[in-house]
Amino acid sequence: MTGAPIAKLRAQSKAWLAASFVCGGLAAFAALGIGGLLVVQTGAFDVRASTPHSLLVGWATHTTMIHAARNGAARVGPSPPITTAAVEAGFRDYDANCAACHGGPAVPRAPWTGGMTPSPPFLIDASRQWRRAELFWIIRNGVKMTGMPSWGFTRSDPQVWNLVAFLEALPYISPEAYGRMRAAQGTMLRRPCCSPAGSPSP
Amino acid sequence: MIWLAAGLSSLAVAGCVPRGAAPAWKNFGGDPTRGSAEITRAQCGACHEIPGIQDANGLVGPPLGRFALRTTVAGVLPNTPGELVHWLRAPQQVTPGNAMPDTGLSDQQARDVAAYLYTLR
Repeated sequence: MTGAPIAKLRAQSKAWLAASFVCGGLAAFAALGIGGLLVVQTGAFDVRASTPHSLLVGWATHTTMIHAARNGAARVGPSPPITTAAVEAGFRDYDANCAACHGGPAVPRAPWTGGMTPSPPFLIDASRQWRRAELFWIIRNGVKMTGMPSWGFTRSDPQVWNLVAFLEALPYISPEAYGRMRAAQGTMLRRPCCSPAGSPSP
Repeated sequence: MIWLAAGLSSLAVAGCVPRGAAPAWKNFGGDPTRGSAEITRAQCGACHEIPGIQDANGLVGPPLGRFALRTTVAGVLPNTPGELVHWLRAPQQVTPGNAMPDTGLSDQQARDVAAYLYTLR
């Protein structure tokens, strides 16, 4: 045996390996594209709000949102100081525009929120789970495909910060105090239980 | 009085059913798989840590891990399926002024949620 044929063989097999990698990669890419196009053209993805996300889709969409909020928050300026006036202004806005979907201490969401996927979360814990700049970014910009509108569309940045101030204060507002605030605001107490949730339409 | 009645009835049940027998939820018409979806839909996880439910990491109310082994529901009701369903549907009636809103769950949905909670041990 001489060295030359072996080296040639080695070179050939390396080239073959590289080629098969490239071809395999291209094929996988094409398959993904074709598969994606098939889903789009046949409507094979379950877009119904009446069924829950699969674990994979639930994880992927929620985690993407968390990371996007983190990135977006990096470009948000510092939070103004949280004052009583800001909390009160934030409460009035929250009670009028947010509570239907997000509820409050001892206050249920509107019954139809159970028909949303994803279903809007209660926010008593929000200031413990998100930084202020993240809350600001989420409220101001909204979140696509969740039902959360961009409230910056109809509000100034200081008004959005008022909502953040309210969320920061929320863990310290007892259900009883919250009820008093709503009464002072003249909010009609929603009938808490049980109308449509029991009878989901087929 | 409720305590006494519940205690006596669970004693009676405990007397008849050997340890490790079919869990209680099998007998009261709840389905844990449906319950799991219902828990997601009702956003229980915004306030409670619930094993096996995606993103259920809230710390407003108590964590619900090992719920099947708990003695009381919310510290005020004996942890029986019937009392749990009652609590799930009307927490404001049981403990007015606590932070948990009435859930709007139907009787069947509350049974399903209870069935899921009783899988946590």
